[in-house]
Amino acid sequence: MSSAEVDILLVEDNQDDAELALHALRREKLANNIFVARDGEEALEFIFCAGAFTHRSFEHPPKLILLDLKLPKVDGMEVLKRLKRDARTKTIPVVIMTSSKEERDLVKGYGLGANSYIQKPVDFDQFRETVKQVGLYWLVTNQPPVGNGVSQTSRKAT
Amino acid sequence: MQEMMGTSALPIEILLVEDSPGDVLLTREALRDAKICLNLQVAADGEEAMALLRREGKYAAAPRPDLVLLDLNLPKKDGREVLQEIKADSNLAIIPVVILTTSASEVDILRSYQLHANCFVTKPVDLEQFLIVVKSIDNFWLTVVKLPIEPD
Amino acid sequence: MIDAGKYGQLQDSVATLRVLLLEDNPMDSELTLQELRKGGFNVSADTATNAEEFTRRVQTNQYHIVLADYTLPQWTGMDALQLLRGQSLDTPLILVTGSLGEEKAVECLKQGATDFVLKDRISRLPLAVRRALEEKRLRQEHREAEADLARKVKELARSNAELEQLAYVASHDLQEPLRMVSSYTQLLAKRYQGQLDSDADKFIAYAVDGANRMQRLIQDLLAYSRVGKGQKDLVETSSEAALQHALTNLSQAITENNAVITHDPLPPVVINEVQLTQLFQNLVANAIKYHGPEVPRIHVFSSTKDKELTFFVQDNGIGISAQYFERIFVMFQRLHARDEFSGTGIGLAISKKIIERHGGRISVESEPGKGSTFSFSLPES
Repeated sequence: MSSAEVDILLVEDNQDDAELALHALRREKLANNIFVARDGEEALEFIFCAGAFTHRSFEHPPKLILLDLKLPKVDGMEVLKRLKRDARTKTIPVVIMTSSKEERDLVKGYGLGANSYIQKPVDFDQFRETVKQVGLYWLVTNQPPVGNGVSQTSRKAT
Repeated sequence: MQEMMGTSALPIEILLVEDSPGDVLLTREALRDAKICLNLQVAADGEEAMALLRREGKYAAAPRPDLVLLDLNLPKKDGREVLQEIKADSNLAIIPVVILTTSASEVDILRSYQLHANCFVTKPVDLEQFLIVVKSIDNFWLTVVKLPIEPD
Repeated sequence: MIDAGKYGQLQDSVATLRVLLLEDNPMDSELTLQELRKGGFNVSADTATNAEEFTRRVQTNQYHIVLADYTLPQWTGMDALQLLRGQSLDTPLILVTGSLGEEKAVECLKQGATDFVLKDRISRLPLAVRRALEEKRLRQEHREAEADLARKVKELARSNAELEQLAYVASHDLQEPLRMVSSYTQLLAKRYQGQLDSDADKFIAYAVDGANRMQRLIQDLLAYSRVGKGQKDLVETSSEAALQHALTNLSQAITENNAVITHDPLPPVVINEVQLTQLFQNLVANAIKYHGPEVPRIHVFSSTKDKELTFFVQDNGIGISAQYFERIFVMFQRLHARDEFSGTGIGLAISKKIIERHGGRISVESEPGKGSTFSFSLPES
């Protein structure tokens, strides 16, 4: 893939959930380009333009990140923490979509700077509907930031 | 200024920080048929907003907001400062803040995100659109999202 | 003989020629001064024979010109030149010397000597002096003109920035109270329509309409004032891609009017891509909007001539009368009533602003009933 702009980064290790989410988002024509990362490590490499993603640029972040918490390799909270800590990536809206019903995850997620926190409905239809609502809200109602405001020095050298 | 809408059950507390009484009324109009029971508090300037959030002085008994709708252009303390203060205060930082303002400037949008606003919504100029947007915000944050509600 | 030729004027403006002679031979000094007087100069001269005297002289007095011998005991004319320039003095220095090989002479001129005159051709001296003074005067004028220009440019930029700021602030601040008028009249209409008498319904309708129009005007004004703000660097852009983009944005209007849009291959151009798209969009939108009884047919093509790249948007619409060719590019000027054709009349004004910011021109050729061809050109870079 070229350095085409990715609108949504979906971080989800569960194949079924990922399929459902993609389907819901594509049906609403909310995004042209959705990238699915299957674990925390891949998500971090994508976001920080490293590893297999050195062609990506901090100047063109995704408009939205849908982040599951239970992920292999690096877990969702860690991904969230790192990306909200770095000036180049902290302005990207992150919506946690998790099956966890733990109160402490909720508080920790918001505490680390998640823009919002969604509990995945168990029912397939409801799940699709939720993803659609999330997509509509974050890509239509909300105004995502353009660029990241960090100076040219952060631009990747080619 | 409080108003109960909807029926019983624990209402969601929304703090609207808005200096234009016209916009306050419009927002109430939009939230009138809200599906979820909610309680709207209004602060007309930045200072009042912070006092309310911190439950200072006459606001000692004020309920803690679960969601803040914040205009950027406010008298006394302006919205950007309020945002900064909320997100810097460990007690208040997890409260989601939705910037709801007339500005559509990229600079304002970026700055708000950098200050950890949860999201940014530009007030539509058209009435119908405005009503729809407020309803979407309400719908999203109150029904789709899980809010970090602190038991009082 | 007094040479009153083109340097004659100089003599009037330099009442007394103040000369500093660097020369250790008093006879040579005298000859030099004589020659100057013969050449029509009123001379007042100081002489220095070595470095110290020279330095002292230039530090205490101002001279129009320095005439220096090339070789002195323990010093040279070129050293004197270095000293002069080191003191930030741009006094012309002419070497008056016995002999100087051609190579050496060229070397000295390269190093900054204004001219050289051989002692056995001393009669050349007055002309050389005149020329040196004239050159200095011209340099001075040039510097002043440049400084003046720089000042004017700065003032203009400041004035422009202020105007843009004014337009922006005015439209931005006007939006808020206008939104109140607009929203509440619409709310009134919504809630009380049919419940008050019919006059009230009409009053409300006019109020709502007025508020809506004002809103559109202000938004357009804001858009106009924003043209050129936050421009990304100019890059080579595919004009075909920009046109496609514009057509995508206009897809609804195109479908609704069954418009047929064609284009020739279009070359790449150095321009801000968003603005090029905006240009095409404005012109094509107009071409569609102002259609006649026939289905709108629009053709986009380009041509390069005399280092200028011109794009053409040709339509088969209602055309424009020549007397209005200039007016249509003025902000908010419209040629039709509101109910005939919609819009505030800002599209062409914005297009013109974009083009002129890129150093180009926009114009139109048209005849009523025979369609129009709008063209904009950009200097090739």
